[in-house]
Amino acid sequence: MDWYTILEFARGPLFKVAWLVFIGGMTYRLARVIFLTWKKDKVPSSGSKLNGVAKSYLKGFLVWPFVPWVKRTFSKNMVTYLAGGLFHLGLLVVLILGTPHMLAWKSLLGFGWPTLPLPITDWLAAVAIVAMVALLINRLVNPVMKLITGPAEWLNWTLVFLPMISGYLMTHHLINPYEKAFSLHMLTVDLLLIWIPLSRISHFMFYFFSRTVQGIYFGKRGVNP
Amino acid sequence: MPKETVYEHLQKEGVSRRDFLKMCGMLAGVMGLGQLPALEDGRLPPDLHPVTTRQVARALETKPRIPVIWLEFQDCAGCSEALTRSQSPTLVNLVMNVISVEYHETLTAAAGFQTEANKEAVMEKYRGQYLLVVEGSIPTGDNGAYCTIGGRSALDLLTEAAQGAAAVVATGNCASFGGLPKAKPNPTSAKGVWEIITDKPVLNIPGCPAIPEVFTGTLAHYIVFGALPELDSLNRPLTFYGNTIHDRCLRRPFYEAGKFAGSFDDEGARNGWCLYKLGCKGPTTYNACAVMKWDQGLSFPVQSGHPCLGCSEPNFWDGGGFYQGQSAPLSRPEATAVGAAVAAGAVAGAAASAIGRSKNKKQANEPAKDED
Repeated sequence: MDWYTILEFARGPLFKVAWLVFIGGMTYRLARVIFLTWKKDKVPSSGSKLNGVAKSYLKGFLVWPFVPWVKRTFSKNMVTYLAGGLFHLGLLVVLILGTPHMLAWKSLLGFGWPTLPLPITDWLAAVAIVAMVALLINRLVNPVMKLITGPAEWLNWTLVFLPMISGYLMTHHLINPYEKAFSLHMLTVDLLLIWIPLSRISHFMFYFFSRTVQGIYFGKRGVNP
Repeated sequence: MPKETVYEHLQKEGVSRRDFLKMCGMLAGVMGLGQLPALEDGRLPPDLHPVTTRQVARALETKPRIPVIWLEFQDCAGCSEALTRSQSPTLVNLVMNVISVEYHETLTAAAGFQTEANKEAVMEKYRGQYLLVVEGSIPTGDNGAYCTIGGRSALDLLTEAAQGAAAVVATGNCASFGGLPKAKPNPTSAKGVWEIITDKPVLNIPGCPAIPEVFTGTLAHYIVFGALPELDSLNRPLTFYGNTIHDRCLRRPFYEAGKFAGSFDDEGARNGWCLYKLGCKGPTTYNACAVMKWDQGLSFPVQSGHPCLGCSEPNFWDGGGFYQGQSAPLSRPEATAVGAAVAAGAVAGAAASAIGRSKNKKQANEPAKDED
């Protein structure tokens, strides 16, 4: 079997299955949380719930990532804070504002958007990859991280790292031929899509969920989140 | 083999020595030979002996013309057209003089059983020596009933002609990989030559059509060296199919700079920016278009503003939309499939939660256990 056939498989039927598993799996995860036993809210709110949610989002997006000293993560483990932040920034920008990725979204969603030039996304990709390596080393040497790192964490790291590194090598033509690099990238992406609902990488969805719920609670009690 | 050498034949045709040497130089150029720095022979590593015009000339002076049988099956004759109407007449003339086309349905003046009888005579006379050139895919469904010539199926004709051939050259995407006839749903079960002929060397020169200079260059290589050129994993000559269109594209700097044409008439298109967003398949397409170009090096699709379709790659008709970005997945899940996945996930999640809740209730009703 040549790489061209593998690429056709990875971009075709395998991607389709992976995407459906991803969507079905994430809906399952969400349903599990939504159908938890919610207690009826009998206590009158002492503040605005909507206000609480808005504050919770604003702080989460604007304050904590850029004003590190308000969170203890920064003082306790600076690597996790900085590398973790840079990794998320790089990943999101490349995934949404990288031209090839936008075209993939466009074909799935039916609409596209302007993208960033390659040199910018390329640097962010490099930063995200270096951050991933820093996070790995941190897990290997930091005593607390060592304690809370199990097989699932190693697998998470590997399955996220593979599409990133293969995409970077593909962009720079460091794996030849191109279709081999493309195939490896697509295969690892497919693998990651299937793995996300089974793992804690699904936090990208629950982040918004928990931020909303916490915001409601904080708003109800009239305290600052 | 015909007794007279290529040079003798050319002399008879009125080609002067000077023109002959010019042609040899052109051939060496097309084959990408003689590009080594001018060093003394002794200082070159033994595997890097420069093959130059002189060597090409010597080969053509001493070797007889190669008989060629040209079969056309599920094709449009576009590869023949491209070759015969190529704007580099001297080169094509040379190759047409170097080979002796004994049978070609479109080009042969005669027709009917006499032509077929002639083909059989040629096959017998030059058994094991002739080159078989195939244009068009071979339908294998329903015993090959979808393409017959003189009452015989393409499959039958191909296997018969391949038996006595020295090598088989598949020209164009159809003969190489099935091309358009093989596009989904492939009603005739069309196949490329190399899927059928496995006991002879099969050389693929894909393209839609194959670039005439690539075809002639490959044949010239066979004549000069008496052997087939080095091939890639898809049996394409590496000399011509060693680089992607993207690698040699004149719009490549715009790709790197992230400057893309978003439509065929926007500012980007007018400025000659990269056509990646318009579906260019250049990054995965191996061919010599960007270097040799067409019409005497005038232009090639990407240069004239159209994205590469990937016509020298297998299954290019099914490789996603021609105008859809290459990074887009080949098959998208249908809305119904997505809906079904969401519904299945939601139902399974709700059910699992319900089971969990009833379990919790049961546990709550049972006498409390100590929990750590």
